[in-house]
Amino acid sequence: MAKIDLVKLRKTFGAYVAVEGLDLKINDGEFLIMLGPSGCGKTTTLNMIAGLEAASAGDILFDNVNVTDLPPHERNVAMVFQSSLLYPHISVRRNIETSLRHTTISDADRKRRIAEAAKMLEIEPFMDKLPGQLSGGQRQRVATAKAIVREPSVFLLDEPLSALDAALRLSLRSELVNLQKRLGTTTVFVTHDQVEAMTMGDRIAVMNSGRLEQIGTPDEIYNSPSTVFVAGFLGSPPMNLLEGDLAGGFFRRGGLAVPIQGPGGKVTLGVRPQDVTVTEATAPGALPVTVYAVEHLGRESVLIADDDRGNKVRALVAPGWHARVGEKLGIMPDPARCLLFDTNGARIYETVARAA
Amino acid sequence: MAKRSIFLYLAIAVAIVWSIFPIYWFCRMAFLTPNEIRLFPQPFMPQVFEFGTFYNIFGYDYEYAAGYVSGASGQSNQIIRGVLNGLFISSIVTVITLLIVVPLAYVFARMEFRHKQKLLFAVLLAVALPPVSTLIPFYSMYVQLGLNGTRFGLIVVTLTITVPFVAWMLIGYFRNLPPIERLARIDGYSRTSCLLTLILPLAKSGIAVAAVIAFLFSWNEYTYALVLVNGTSANTLPTAISGFLGQYPEPGNLAASVIVTIIPPALFAYFLQRHVTEMSLVDPVR
Repeated sequence: MAKIDLVKLRKTFGAYVAVEGLDLKINDGEFLIMLGPSGCGKTTTLNMIAGLEAASAGDILFDNVNVTDLPPHERNVAMVFQSSLLYPHISVRRNIETSLRHTTISDADRKRRIAEAAKMLEIEPFMDKLPGQLSGGQRQRVATAKAIVREPSVFLLDEPLSALDAALRLSLRSELVNLQKRLGTTTVFVTHDQVEAMTMGDRIAVMNSGRLEQIGTPDEIYNSPSTVFVAGFLGSPPMNLLEGDLAGGFFRRGGLAVPIQGPGGKVTLGVRPQDVTVTEATAPGALPVTVYAVEHLGRESVLIADDDRGNKVRALVAPGWHARVGEKLGIMPDPARCLLFDTNGARIYETVARAA
Repeated sequence: MAKRSIFLYLAIAVAIVWSIFPIYWFCRMAFLTPNEIRLFPQPFMPQVFEFGTFYNIFGYDYEYAAGYVSGASGQSNQIIRGVLNGLFISSIVTVITLLIVVPLAYVFARMEFRHKQKLLFAVLLAVALPPVSTLIPFYSMYVQLGLNGTRFGLIVVTLTITVPFVAWMLIGYFRNLPPIERLARIDGYSRTSCLLTLILPLAKSGIAVAAVIAFLFSWNEYTYALVLVNGTSANTLPTAISGFLGQYPEPGNLAASVIVTIIPPALFAYFLQRHVTEMSLVDPVR
């Protein structure tokens, strides 16, 4: 159990800046997700917390103790790697045992801990097999057992589910969260999968090109994104982002006019597909679009349409709803549910939606 | 589908004939009695299997069942010495090659350091050099150093072939191993103990194959041996066999010597084939 503080953490590889000025507080016992596209610095950050990469500048504190210069095994961390990396040439039991190399516990304790971990992860039947003889899900369980047997103060997981098929990922997701809540160990989980992030995390830290974009609960990240990047990265189907001008109490883009007040100038309007209504093409103030496709998701359908500038615009519609490809329609955002971002991508908070 | 399998079997048949026929040809020659070998046309198969030629090349007379004696070959001293030298030199070369190449390949495959690409190129450039191009410089240098005609000299020169070639092979193999170093560092292994206790056992197939390659290169090495040690007490089997060419023809003995030459590599390959197939079939990325 530990809280982690990252202070002005920076990592460069030659001229390439992987992580820039990262300040992050991870609470004791928290399940924190680091989310971002590949190359955003999330794995590098995790490696620095683990001690696998030396920080170029800045400090890492575990419970206010500076561990920046400690090697990994002195930090009391456990890590599960991408594709549940294990030593392929030794048995599952010995794989788990190696985690305890640097602990000074008695043989009996050692046996008990391994047995407990094996029981908890339900891997007893294949303790004497080689990792190569196991399925992906079983390997993932073994990697987790190897991590928990050390009783670490911090769990670090680097996309452990990414190599598994969808059904397995779904069941292991809840299993991991359940385990983490039972053990109460501070956990940092790196993923590029927004569904994993939304479903698993107590908080999500969204990263982009080496910088922290936003940190908050899944609810905050989804409903109140602080940058246009976060807005566009989370949500499926993704948020509609429309560039236009804000003037005279209206956001305008071609035929679209949304009554919103705010500081004038060029802005990006973001609105989720569930917060727009589909209207006639001629409806006043609606965005004229041409139907591109309708995707049926079962409980609802997604209309995908092109606007006159070639942008794809998405709208959630009732499951029985139909439209021909090429049909002209209008899209009307709900002014109360619209977010505005300035040209740098930062959220403009001082907006007031008005009735039309 | 049927058509494809016909061509497939045809290709396999061609490949088998291609590789088996020379072996058959030499076996036939080795086992034909001196009388049969003088016939024209020669029989396809020996009528009785007698090991006369093998006695002859190792310096013994042999009395054939037909009642006549074929004498020991005049080349037998060279052959015996060639076998012993070959085993000695090839074993030493194999051991030294592995001692040099395993750490070298590991470092090039798994670590980052300055000028890595240039250094790698320098190591591998030697693979592209034909031995003939360095033959004369080596020869004149060896004469001045008094290394010509010594087993030590031949070991050194053979290493210049095996080291870059085996390094080239092993670097690729090490590169494909799973990234367990990161796991090992979390578990508190030092770099050295990670290499010795984790990587080496994991890479034993690749290292075994590397050993075979080094042994075979050394065992079969002909160009340098011909120039540097032929006719001396340090000669190896390939040069000893070439001695048959300049003499009164002894085709049976020549063939028997060739068979002796392929026995150690064949045994080597037979016992290590499990590793060879493992190396190519099992995906080491796990």
